[in-house]
Amino acid sequence: MSRYSRELSVLAVLAAMLLALGVWAPGFYRLQPLLSLATREAPVLVVACGMVLVVIARQIDISVGSQFSICSVAGGLLAAAGWPMVLVVPASVAIGAMLGMLNGALVAGLGLPSIVVTLAMLVTLRQGLNLFRQGEFVTLPDGVQWFGLSQSVGQALILAATGVLVIVLAAALRHVALGRQIYAVGSDAEASRLAGIRPRWVTFFAFAALGALTGLAAAMNVVQSPQVQPLSGNGMELKVIAAVVVGGVAISGGRGTLWGATAGLMVLACISPALVHLHIEAYWEKAIQGAVILLAAIAEGLRRRRSDA
Amino acid sequence: MKTPQTLERSHGWRKWLLRHETLLLVVLVLEWSLFYYFGTSVNRRGMTVGFGTLDRQFDILRHSCEIGLLALALTPVILAGGIDLSVASLLGLCAVIFGQLTHDLGLSLSIAAGATVALGALAGGLNATLIAGLRLPPLIVTLGTYSLFRGLAEALTRGAVTYSDFAPRFLSLGQDRWLALPVQAWVFFAVAAGMWMLVHRTVAGRSFRVIGFSPEGARFAGLPVTRNLAGVYVLAGAIAAIAALIYTARLGQAKADAAIGYELFAIAAVVLGGTSIFGGRGSVTGTLLGVAVIAVLKNGLATLPVVIRLNAAEEISGMLTGFLLLAALAGSTIPKLVSARRNRSWSNGSFISPSP
Amino acid sequence: MPLLLAFHAIRKSFGAVRALRGVDFELRAGEVHALLGENGAGKSTLIKVATGAHAPDEGSIAIAGETLSALTPALARRLGIACIYQQPALFPDLTVAENLALRLEPVRPFRRVDWRQRTRTAEALLSRVGAAIAPETEVKRLSMPEQQLVEIAGAVGAGARIVIMDEPTASLTRREQERLFGIVRSLRKDGVGVIYISHRLEEIFALADRVTVLRDGASAGTFPVGEMDEPGLIRSMVGREVSHLYPPSHSTPGTVALKIEGVGCKAGGISEVSLTLRAGEVVGLAGLVGAGRTQLARILFGVTPADAGSIEVGGRAVTIRSPQEAMQLGIAYVPEDRRRHGVVLEMPVAQNITLAARRRLFPGGWLRFGRERREAGEFVRRLAIKTASVDAPVGSLSGGNQQKVALARWLATNPRILILDEPTQGVDVGAKSEIHALIRQFAASGQAVLLISSDLPEILGMSDRIAVMRGGRLVEILPGGSTAPQVMSAALGQTLAKGKDAE
Repeated sequence: MSRYSRELSVLAVLAAMLLALGVWAPGFYRLQPLLSLATREAPVLVVACGMVLVVIARQIDISVGSQFSICSVAGGLLAAAGWPMVLVVPASVAIGAMLGMLNGALVAGLGLPSIVVTLAMLVTLRQGLNLFRQGEFVTLPDGVQWFGLSQSVGQALILAATGVLVIVLAAALRHVALGRQIYAVGSDAEASRLAGIRPRWVTFFAFAALGALTGLAAAMNVVQSPQVQPLSGNGMELKVIAAVVVGGVAISGGRGTLWGATAGLMVLACISPALVHLHIEAYWEKAIQGAVILLAAIAEGLRRRRSDA
Repeated sequence: MKTPQTLERSHGWRKWLLRHETLLLVVLVLEWSLFYYFGTSVNRRGMTVGFGTLDRQFDILRHSCEIGLLALALTPVILAGGIDLSVASLLGLCAVIFGQLTHDLGLSLSIAAGATVALGALAGGLNATLIAGLRLPPLIVTLGTYSLFRGLAEALTRGAVTYSDFAPRFLSLGQDRWLALPVQAWVFFAVAAGMWMLVHRTVAGRSFRVIGFSPEGARFAGLPVTRNLAGVYVLAGAIAAIAALIYTARLGQAKADAAIGYELFAIAAVVLGGTSIFGGRGSVTGTLLGVAVIAVLKNGLATLPVVIRLNAAEEISGMLTGFLLLAALAGSTIPKLVSARRNRSWSNGSFISPSP
Repeated sequence: MPLLLAFHAIRKSFGAVRALRGVDFELRAGEVHALLGENGAGKSTLIKVATGAHAPDEGSIAIAGETLSALTPALARRLGIACIYQQPALFPDLTVAENLALRLEPVRPFRRVDWRQRTRTAEALLSRVGAAIAPETEVKRLSMPEQQLVEIAGAVGAGARIVIMDEPTASLTRREQERLFGIVRSLRKDGVGVIYISHRLEEIFALADRVTVLRDGASAGTFPVGEMDEPGLIRSMVGREVSHLYPPSHSTPGTVALKIEGVGCKAGGISEVSLTLRAGEVVGLAGLVGAGRTQLARILFGVTPADAGSIEVGGRAVTIRSPQEAMQLGIAYVPEDRRRHGVVLEMPVAQNITLAARRRLFPGGWLRFGRERREAGEFVRRLAIKTASVDAPVGSLSGGNQQKVALARWLATNPRILILDEPTQGVDVGAKSEIHALIRQFAASGQAVLLISSDLPEILGMSDRIAVMRGGRLVEILPGGSTAPQVMSAALGQTLAKGKDAE
């Protein structure tokens, strides 16, 4: 099925990287470090799932890093104040959803370009948080990290939850009308309107969903260490967007899948350990990330050129 | 047959443009007065300190040169309907490259400076090739170069190296005065004057607007769209390099994290100044006023006693700039929504006849 | 037989242009009713009224016997009115099955999507219209005829009772046409009413039960197809009093300004076009929509360069690969889409006028405002452009005056060859005469004009010679004194004089 050619090529790249790592850096394949890596990246995957929705709808949100930080700190503070995790998680999701709805209102409601709106939000939210916390960590009480269970159990729980979430989201995107409407709006907003869909509400929903998922990801992050760092979300937006773009989700909207983005994120996640084993210093990571985004954009552009010709 | 409608609208068009810049000027004056009143005081030794001092005003001028240069670089890009998120990262990269050229390679100051500007233009050329040549969306391309340029800066300095110990001759660019004003101000004025002439007095400048309003229309008028579009990105790169030199001279050091976050201030200044984010409409004067408003805001906040007590100058100025940008965006869109609704009712037997 | 649709005395104007001047039209169940008329006769406007896209200024609409006070696109769809345009309105990135489903399914957001059901529905509908298309194909990978079939399948699936087809066979092969005819016939058998717009008279005779001819926004009659013949139809389409006086032509054609031989462009669908333009003459380029006239103009202006044949300008062989190159050769093109390509609506009159002549007016690249205002003021006077000032944005002008600005822009470049694409479309009568006089003046000063127009009287009144295009080729060059029926038959592909089918 050439329909999934993008996703298949990402999978091919991922397979090649995993193979190469297996051959030249077999140390990569040790269970505990791999589990830790996966657990660390799980929140990023959750955010990426939300970003897929927004990008398919032909928008973008570069404020997710700041949203993540705010939800992390909020969750941490609530936990430190004695709230049980059962309440902290939904609270974090709600806060994220509200931030997402703010973006959605500005973009869908007023018709403002999403790149500039979310750029303004990125800085406003981050500086607001800095003002509030002054960079101070939030120390979590005992019983919060790993839900009070052992590390392995906690990791397994998080990974399982992420896996279930991705499957459920992918199923919803495919089998719930609203999910299909997101594709329609991203493909052709005017035709959607003629078909009876309401593009503004669908776009608003995409931003709100991204916010909620970011809140959930933040909660997943909180339980992984004894403290919450307010800077934890910095730079996350680039990683998420890179994963989404590499994973075959077109910036022009209307196409893309969650499992493509998952493969894309895995490719990116492999880069860092690959660098270590190739003895390339970590400070090349940002440059490589940028190059990856550019290459993915070029690939998409060339693909589009070929299909138009 | 001149109906009152056309008369009113033709003057209304010009009136609005003037009105926007007047509004900005009013905001600037208000802002400045506020900071002067609340941010100036007399210390124990009887000296005036705070906002109202000449030193402070020169500081504001110095700071605004860098944001101002980036905003000037962005103005033709946004006028032509594009965007460039990578200018601040490019500034950081150029600063680091300049440091390496002078320190590690021992090149003379003028050669290193020239090479840096050339490299800045080359980096802008990367954006130009991908956006104007391959027709990729500017958003994702400049997001990629935003990361790539900053990443290269970090990689070149191995994340740690800082270049300092520049020759005093170079530092005077950022720290001394010439003819009563800070040296970099003269550079800034020169670039501003050049940009003003390019945008408002040349055929190229006008073609940027046409491309911003209607890329197809530009093509049918025989304008060299690809060349002009490429040009604005290359120019932005060169100006970012000049800003890098000034930034390094002012701080006395070149680091990979130079000008982090400046892209927001630059874009905010341009949008605040009345340039439409969709392209076509805007002016260099507006950008300069927008830069002034933001620079005064940024620096003035640091002089307010309440801000000093909270030690939150950077945070509050960042938040306020974000609000200002959103307000400016919303402010420019709402009249358009209103007039679109009005236009619909005009389409019955009036001057404007839509094509059947 | 009940009336599916009944229009009575429909009037619709756009500003000063009267598109429909009191049209009666009715559609019976189980009939194929053809709609015939030259470009600008009002067919598209009538269709837009039927689909609810335009509200008529006057007149009544009755669907299935019920008079409606207002018709919106949503209501029209609910009432079972479907329109298949030449440009399909499908989602390019989504599959055929999904496109059909979005058309047919209710819009409630939290409904479960059953893909197996979607595929089954799609397969059923596609086979009903005889389309061999896999439901999971992305629409952008389909050819135009295939996309058309998908649209028809969607209309059928939505239970449309009134199906409007706008030039459906324009890009179909013989076999695809036959398949389409089969679908139309089966729709008719099911009691659906089909409004069929086409220029191909043989199709109308083969398929339609009745035909209504529109002329200048009014109905020139509704006839059972059996009672008409081709000459009769053509006469109804064009027969009218030529009340408009066109400026007489005194010029004698001079040297050859432009000579093209065997020019073609695969992407534009043009092939084997040969034409000569002489200084001082106005050559009209006639043909139906889709015949390739604008494509030819674009080739000459370098927007879509030719990939076959030769072009000579002023006796010299040239290649024209971009508008800049065309302009350097002295070729000017006033485009068909005035609002998007002809002028920049947001910019002032003066800046629009001087835009193309920038090399002459602003040497060295520096703008000269004094010169600009003088030049613009000169043209405003010469062309009688009604504007409050040269600083007014072009968008504030009426259509006719906007067209004059577009014309001024290119006259300012002092071209040797002026190509005009529908220069008086949407322009009121007064401005029309002024533009005609200007064109005549311009040719008389020794330049060559290629006039593309769908307004038959305009072509007849203005042209020294008439070149007729059909299907991407130049099929005939008629002398200036030709009659309307002669031009129309050449454009349609019938040869009146010889009385046999020229296909």
